[in-house]
Amino acid sequence: MATDSGIDETSVGADDRANLVQLLRTAYPHPRFPDGPYERTADAILEQIGESVWHRTLLTRGLRTLDDAAHGPFRDLDDIAASELLHAIADAEFFVFIRGVAVPLLYGDPEVWAALGYEGESFSKGGYVNRGFDDLDWLPDPRVEEYDGSDEFVEVADQDQLKKA
Amino acid sequence: MSDNNAFQIAYDDEAVVIVGSGAGGGTLAYELTARGIPCVVLEAGAYLKPEDYENDEWPAFNQMAWLDKRTTSGSWRVARDFPNLPAWIVKAVGGSTTHWSGATPRFKDYEFKTKTYYGGVQGANLLDWPITLEELAPYYDAAEKAMGSTHRHGRPPLPANNNYKVFANGAESVGYKFYATGPYATNAEPYDGRPASIQDGFNFQGDKNSSKWSTAVREIPRALATGKLDLRTQSQAVQITHDAKGHADGVLYLDKDGNLHRQRAKVVCVAGNSIESPRLLLMSASSLHPNGLANSSGQVGRNYMRHTTGSVYATFDKPVRMYRGETMAGIVADEARLDTARGFAGGYYLETLALGPAFMGAFVEPGGWGADFAALLDAYLNTAGLWIVGEDLPQETNRITLNTADQDQWGLPVPNVHFDDHANDVAMREHAYSRADLMYEAVGAQSTHHTPPYPSTHNLGSCRMSARPEDGVVDAHGQAHDVPGLFVSDGSQMTSGAAANPTLTIVALAIRQAEFIADELAKGAL
Repeated sequence: MATDSGIDETSVGADDRANLVQLLRTAYPHPRFPDGPYERTADAILEQIGESVWHRTLLTRGLRTLDDAAHGPFRDLDDIAASELLHAIADAEFFVFIRGVAVPLLYGDPEVWAALGYEGESFSKGGYVNRGFDDLDWLPDPRVEEYDGSDEFVEVADQDQLKKA
Repeated sequence: MSDNNAFQIAYDDEAVVIVGSGAGGGTLAYELTARGIPCVVLEAGAYLKPEDYENDEWPAFNQMAWLDKRTTSGSWRVARDFPNLPAWIVKAVGGSTTHWSGATPRFKDYEFKTKTYYGGVQGANLLDWPITLEELAPYYDAAEKAMGSTHRHGRPPLPANNNYKVFANGAESVGYKFYATGPYATNAEPYDGRPASIQDGFNFQGDKNSSKWSTAVREIPRALATGKLDLRTQSQAVQITHDAKGHADGVLYLDKDGNLHRQRAKVVCVAGNSIESPRLLLMSASSLHPNGLANSSGQVGRNYMRHTTGSVYATFDKPVRMYRGETMAGIVADEARLDTARGFAGGYYLETLALGPAFMGAFVEPGGWGADFAALLDAYLNTAGLWIVGEDLPQETNRITLNTADQDQWGLPVPNVHFDDHANDVAMREHAYSRADLMYEAVGAQSTHHTPPYPSTHNLGSCRMSARPEDGVVDAHGQAHDVPGLFVSDGSQMTSGAAANPTLTIVALAIRQAEFIADELAKGAL
């Protein structure tokens, strides 16, 4: 959307997207994650920009002014400097909004699951009943039946028993 | 009217009209139709079948969760973390039995008598139930058999999955004795026409294998098979009407296109879960019931309980893979007792719980970000988890009200859920966190994380049972004290929340209520 002054204040360019990817990598720093999930999350957030004037103006203003706060391109900051900057703007509405949208997208990404060791859908593979649902071998196999030893379960402790009238 | 079956009840036929098809409504529908009593079930959601369920946390959530707008207030953390999602329940045929964990402990004797046992706890609106465990016991038996509870009535236990191995070894190490893989209403071997669990790890998403009991796979199909059930899906109840004498006589509801219909009724049973049920009564105010239907006590919507909950996730130096196998299949009952020497009244259970990374990201530390947060997810493979579920105390100010300043997609006032933790709830939660830490540390945990309560999955007490009309909304059979022919048939009738997961008790109460309604109808008394 061009404004009266002719300046495009509410559309997102490549630099804004790069700032958003950097923001996501800094807010959710997982060295094992490849770039793909961060980029997909960023693109999904940017796709939602058109949903309301509020989202569009909020996000573009926030992403663009990251450079002002960084005194240079935010996307080029090192991890420590980027993290310090984000902590300084932790309560900024646009950043709060991005976090709320980003978490389900990022941690719902199958490439993230693979990086974390999660296997995703399992029903079509017959579940895990024959594929390691009980393969933990560093502890003994515990009892699965209910306790049937000599100790009685004390439902009401002595001091909480009703006083006999 | 009905798109699910050939049997149709005319709008002006007096039927038993049941609002909701979950643990309470679905059970009631089956128990009544099996006795030949025609029923209309108004279900706000669609009829999802096992083949529709998805093995993917967020898509499944968006498929079945109740996402109609709600608001929150109060000092509970859910109001901050999830201001428009106070409750995590299901909008579909089967209600929240679609996504429930499956745990089926019974309430204990003292939990029916909390006023007597706990005495005067400041700020708590305690009351004894008008029924006892002894009276409910035969219905618990019937419910356990219907639901196929493991460890009960000859049903074998579920096997130990990875998460349980950590949990149970931890429990044993700290001296707990009353732990096991159940009781859970999930088949360890084929039972009642449904197969054994394949341990696929998806349970909160609806069980595609149908090994877990739900009214969507048992009671509703069987009720339809009787030819006496008119199941109307995507039908949102708006108001319950009464005749000039004050007897419930109909339900107004919206179909999926927003058209308003009125179904005549001789009996109305409300089972919309503990937020929607009081909301419906409050929306049904009339000149005879100016403060809401069945609300002469002023207790409709009050005493809302949501269980004292929390989770603990522990990380180890070796893999756990908690996501493999049943989401919940482990229970420690040692703390589910009354012992005020611990610093609080009531008890709690610890139960295994596993989330995938998608839900862990959202729930392990809501709003979290940064390096410490990322570390919780990085440890995912080596993480074990459990859930705390304990009794919270009823408070009059914890309540469901109509928020007339805000409307849902139909233009109806949204329900507001107000909740403040009682000091007793906080003390119990802290105790439970510390016991869970000890369990996990005893088997080598490197760290533990205390996760705050999720949006409420157990919603209770907002139309409670009482012996005296001035203390509550419904009587010992769930019938409104002041509206003949109106019943509350879900967890909102619970006078206390107890420590146990509520579904078994909701089903037992519904079986008992169905017997009462059938007897009264036969006598011409309703």
